[in-house]
Amino acid sequence: MSSATQIRAEETVLTPPSRWRGLLRRHATMPAILAVVLLGVYLWISTTDLDDIEQRALEADKLLRAVGEHVTLTVLTTVLVVAIAGGGGILLTRPSMRWLAPFATGLANIGQATPAIGLLVLLSIFLGIGFSTTLICLVAYSVLPVLQNTIVGINQVDRHLVEAGRGIGMSPLAVLLRIELPLAVPVILAGVRTALVLAVGVATLATFINAGGLGSLIVTGIKLQRETILVTGAVLTATLALTLDWLGGVISDLLRPRGLD
Amino acid sequence: MSRDVMIDLQQVSKFYRGQKAPVVENMSMTIQQGEIVVFVGPSGCGKTTTMKMINRLIEPSSGRILIDGTDVTALDGNDLRRQIGYVIQQVGLFPHMSVATNVGLVPKMLGWDRKRVEARADELLHLVGLEPAIYRNRLPRQLSGGQQQRVGVARALAADPPVMLMDEPFGATDPMTRDRLQNEFLRLQEQLRKTIVFVTHDFDEAIKMGTRIAVLGERSKIRQFDTPESLLANPADSTVAQFIGRGARLKQLDLRRVDEITWEDVPLIQPDKAANGAKRRLEQAEGSSALTVDADNRPLRWVNAHDLAADAGTLDGAGQTVTTVEPQATLRDALDAMLASRDGAAVVVDEQGRYAGTVTLDGLMQVIHHTPEQEEPGAEVPGPRAGVARTAELTPEQR
Repeated sequence: MSSATQIRAEETVLTPPSRWRGLLRRHATMPAILAVVLLGVYLWISTTDLDDIEQRALEADKLLRAVGEHVTLTVLTTVLVVAIAGGGGILLTRPSMRWLAPFATGLANIGQATPAIGLLVLLSIFLGIGFSTTLICLVAYSVLPVLQNTIVGINQVDRHLVEAGRGIGMSPLAVLLRIELPLAVPVILAGVRTALVLAVGVATLATFINAGGLGSLIVTGIKLQRETILVTGAVLTATLALTLDWLGGVISDLLRPRGLD
Repeated sequence: MSRDVMIDLQQVSKFYRGQKAPVVENMSMTIQQGEIVVFVGPSGCGKTTTMKMINRLIEPSSGRILIDGTDVTALDGNDLRRQIGYVIQQVGLFPHMSVATNVGLVPKMLGWDRKRVEARADELLHLVGLEPAIYRNRLPRQLSGGQQQRVGVARALAADPPVMLMDEPFGATDPMTRDRLQNEFLRLQEQLRKTIVFVTHDFDEAIKMGTRIAVLGERSKIRQFDTPESLLANPADSTVAQFIGRGARLKQLDLRRVDEITWEDVPLIQPDKAANGAKRRLEQAEGSSALTVDADNRPLRWVNAHDLAADAGTLDGAGQTVTTVEPQATLRDALDAMLASRDGAAVVVDEQGRYAGTVTLDGLMQVIHHTPEQEEPGAEVPGPRAGVARTAELTPEQR
């Protein structure tokens, strides 16, 4: 009886306190700050006398559509980038393909190093203007961090673990799915977060090739010298970027494998 | 040959593209069922490569490897590896899986149902001395190095493979832990009788663990393949001798146990008996010393004629202290005990601490100069090593 209680006591000591509480503590600040900022902008706009142009530009419908377009662009970019760069990263860490990795990261580097607006304009010359061209530009622009982090994340997994996995008879695929990827998740997700934030920023340029997004607010604000429109567009863009980054943080905390510190 | 061949390497070689010299060249060796064969040699000699070719982590370039009569190249590599236990120096426990999950990986891959996998994991943790209720849900990083290596061994044993490959399994632990793990593993092997290929660069470990030792040179060339006893007594060439290092004689003492050599008898005196009678017995025995014992025959002190003369009334507190060894102790322990005693003799006691005989320096000298070849000519594979678990049998003559 007493030994059983002892064992149970020891187990309680070892079980980490619920991960939800830690999650709440680490991630509660950002939403609060964002809410305060949004509320502040809202109060400022609603207490200001708006002229016709401003009223038309700041209609709720229009704002929602701009946010929607922006989010769609960003989310689609993320999905494509994770598929392309994640898959590519996995392939480029297989023993038979490893030699290709420097070339691939070099190529991805070109996409990243070209100024975004230049890339966008260049692509629109070849592909025409519109949504899909913007998407291609965004993907090209944000592939690098995910690709590089996937490669680094998988390569930093202790080679002896891979050897041990093969040694006890796991297939290469099982080693990848059960050992390499779970242990590489924190690094890969850090890359995805970076890519997301980049994509939100670059997506403001979509307006130049008629693909909408929050960039149109900013551009209108600058052209027509309406501070309210400019600030609203800028604040919404920043809020969206920070929200997605926050979400990425929460997800990567949830997916972090146990047993790593 | 009394036992079956378990692993048969036939002219095995390994070449790598772009390298002129092979890493392993025409290696042939047969390993019997139930023995521990240690590959020992300098780093880079190809011993690990040779071992990894057995479970095809490295594919041999030429030659054949048979396990229990089956050519390993005829099997699927993953299936093959699930049937061969594998332990590496870095342990290789998966940090994000619990101890029980780690241990249960192979049975799970073999398609056992969950209940059976869990039961097997518990059984194995128990076997390697880790209480399942406490350790099964822990993560590897919550264990000490020694405990991790125990789990590593448990994982390798999970599907009860007949063959195990161990690549410097105890190399990363501190000397005390290593010694304990080695002893535990030898005790386990007494029960399990697996066929084991064990790679190390530590010759002392090779002597301790090996049924037979293969000293490997460049390209995995076998310089000598023999029992530890013969290797120490008759190194094949100067390289092997160099590798054995100094103190070959002392290392031989590690291999033999007190119950393998002949014990001598000394006169016993119970102190409560009359000292006069004791004196008479001492004189009769011609030896210089006698042993005082208590009512249960437990040795107390060495006494000689002088002690008896000086204090005729009682023997309490007279004479020199006694050093004792148990029959399972190594001869090295016995030598240590002899050196600690003034008389150059160690008293052998049974498990209850009762007198069983004495061993002396002269006895040790005889053993050392009496090599195993002379004892068992032509015997290629010795019987089971006088192991830790072997019970001490005291024959009536020895008493």
